[in-house]
Amino acid sequence: MKRILALVLTLAMVFTLALGFTGCGKEEQPSAPGGTSAPAQPGDNGSKPQDTSTPAPSVSDDPNVKVLNLWSFTDEVPKMMDKYKELYKEKNGKDFPYEVKVTIIATTDGAYQPALDQALAGGGADAPDVYCAESAFVLKYTQGDASSYAAAYKDLGIDVDNLLKEAEIAQYTVEIGTRPSDNKLVGLGYQATGGAFIYRRSIAKDVWGTDDPAVIKTKIGPGWDKFFEAAETLKQKGYAIISGDGDMFVVVRNSSEKPWIVDGKLYIDPAREAFLDYSKKLKDNGYHNDTTDWTDAWYADMKDAGAGKKVLGYFGPAWLINYVMAGQVGSEVGEGTFGDWAVCEPPVGFFWGGTWVLANKDTKIPKTVGEFIQWITLDSSETGLQYYWANGTLYGPGGTKDTVASGTVMKKSDGTLPLLGGQNMFDVFVPAGEFASAKAMTQYDESINSWFRQQVTEYANGNKSREQAIADFKQQVADNLDIIVD
Amino acid sequence: MGGKKIKSVSYAKYGYIFSLPFVLAFLIFTAYPVLYTAVIGFTDLKGLGKTDFKFLENPFQNFIQILKTPSFQKSLGNTVLIWTVNFLPQILLALLLTAWFTNQRQKIRGQGAFKVLFYMPNIITAATIAILFSTLFGYPMGPMNDLFKLLGLSQEPINFLNNKTTARMVVSFIQFWMWYGQTMIVLIAGVLGINPELFEAAEIDGATSRQVFFYITLPSLRTIMLFTLVTSLIGGMQMFDIPKLFLNGGPDNATLTVSVFIYNQAFSGSYMYNRAAAASMILFIIIVVLSAILFYVMRDKDAAKMKKEIKKMKAAQKAAAKGVQA
Repeated sequence: MKRILALVLTLAMVFTLALGFTGCGKEEQPSAPGGTSAPAQPGDNGSKPQDTSTPAPSVSDDPNVKVLNLWSFTDEVPKMMDKYKELYKEKNGKDFPYEVKVTIIATTDGAYQPALDQALAGGGADAPDVYCAESAFVLKYTQGDASSYAAAYKDLGIDVDNLLKEAEIAQYTVEIGTRPSDNKLVGLGYQATGGAFIYRRSIAKDVWGTDDPAVIKTKIGPGWDKFFEAAETLKQKGYAIISGDGDMFVVVRNSSEKPWIVDGKLYIDPAREAFLDYSKKLKDNGYHNDTTDWTDAWYADMKDAGAGKKVLGYFGPAWLINYVMAGQVGSEVGEGTFGDWAVCEPPVGFFWGGTWVLANKDTKIPKTVGEFIQWITLDSSETGLQYYWANGTLYGPGGTKDTVASGTVMKKSDGTLPLLGGQNMFDVFVPAGEFASAKAMTQYDESINSWFRQQVTEYANGNKSREQAIADFKQQVADNLDIIVD
Repeated sequence: MGGKKIKSVSYAKYGYIFSLPFVLAFLIFTAYPVLYTAVIGFTDLKGLGKTDFKFLENPFQNFIQILKTPSFQKSLGNTVLIWTVNFLPQILLALLLTAWFTNQRQKIRGQGAFKVLFYMPNIITAATIAILFSTLFGYPMGPMNDLFKLLGLSQEPINFLNNKTTARMVVSFIQFWMWYGQTMIVLIAGVLGINPELFEAAEIDGATSRQVFFYITLPSLRTIMLFTLVTSLIGGMQMFDIPKLFLNGGPDNATLTVSVFIYNQAFSGSYMYNRAAAASMILFIIIVVLSAILFYVMRDKDAAKMKKEIKKMKAAQKAAAKGVQA
């Protein structure tokens, strides 16, 4: 009975929506630019047929819609929305006129994508207006199967061309967020996620006599050969270089030349295939503690509470320090491993993660959605999200700092962290951003990477031969995806 | 017709009205998806957000492809193995507990509390249990490893869940642990439904508890047993939540069940709805066949025999009657 009632109500709602939409279509409201950024201006000229030359159209909201649906896989963007509401009230002297309905589904076990896909395909009043995609699967939503659901930023009234230049947005963020079918920008991230090696100062001093990042980077790299040399040195002293092979995989997975799929066929890049050997080498020689990332033992190694050896370091971008390690290592010097960390360049450049923000092309409130997205991704002013984000002031002073996509913001931000013993992490993370690239990514990465790692684990544990592991990996891909496998 | 007309009130229409919501909900949310699934198994429907499809030239192409897929064959084997290993101890323990809880002579105290406790694992959500067990068997540190170290069984930490047999056994154990309480409750209900005079008569005749259980309780439980077997078989063949949430089908597909396989076909990237539908229909057919076998094996043999005898007798009577007439 409830279902029937809900159905009737939904139909009624859709009906009123449809009525309202046609009703307001006649009077176009002028678009007001959001935040404090430059007002929308027409592009350079209209002669080129490309997207980059068309000005952002003025858009308006459907006055009958009172709800903004926001889908995400963490509480990050929902919390940004809270701040945005606060700022909106300060600026306009009235409450944000929409009720924000937040849906958060974690990406673990691949649960987020199917749910989001159904919500997008289903449409209607409950369809997401704004949704987030993580780097592991963002291509599906910006360039792949689900890209047709995304609204071009321009159609939300965002003056993309000028703002991109003004904010100096990292190029890879734009590349990943551009839909190839019409060459339009449909998504942008707010973080820059170039990675570094985050290591323990005390262990580095014990082994190499110094904790200077400029020296340590020459000990653990460049290249995996030097990394394994360092691992051997550490082993002699009774240390592990990393916690588990998953730490190395985050570097390997996006640093290969070609993606998993080339011309519709499965392609195993030599850089990725080599991970089989690296993983086995790590395991056979006891260079790591054999933990699995995101399990208790892996976290425990951050605070010397693990069952195995002490661990030199972790690979990761700035967010790993602030959102993962910060919760584990203690909160002041002398407590746990707080202050005993430093960052240096990794042996091989890589990037990891990042959240891209997209809007539904069918949203009834494009103006509001556009203003919100612009505030997150393209506003480089000191009241833009990225300035708060970089300096850790989103929820008041003293919050966690992070690298952001806007170069303009990075220049006026300070990345000094007590957790890192006072090191300015931006010195390492900002140059690391240049390794970030979308060239080795596909929309199937989340599934394929997890199958690949399963087989690597089988091989590293001596359960099967190298050939068998590769064959089984190929079979797994062939069984589950619509991809040609030789 | 003379006299007053007796107005009869038809209550039937209220029955129809009250059942209407259910019938509608059933048609929309169950019957339609089932039929839709049955149809798209024969089509080329795949890809996100697509709704148009056409039938394949060889309508059984998806079915053939699924049957040939190594992962599917493996998943079928896994499902049968995991279900069997969980069901045998489950039904035995449930029967034992039923015998104890329904024993007339030694009334066990605190029965209600025990029943609640045994049923408890079934109330906890699968997700919670999956997390509980992956933490218990954590590697290289976790409670199970600590226990092994403490008991001196192993000095080095053991990666339990990376071992295929262990992983399967743990999944079987979780299923067993979650469902024996449910089975027990159903069986107890079945025993309580048996005519108490039978037990009294047996007692007067001097039957032991054991004899009562094997010669009175068990044979009278047959229909309930059939119900338990069939529902458990269906549930077991469709086992999804624990294998998916606990190890996501791993390690190396050791806990990949048919349902997880179907899920992967549809949702791990390529959205092959047609193949997922075909695999679902294959699973459906397997369940139908196995259930039919169970119904045949568990049929009331005496009653069947009786029916035959009665038929024979009637035939003989007829023949005799004809003989008289002739």
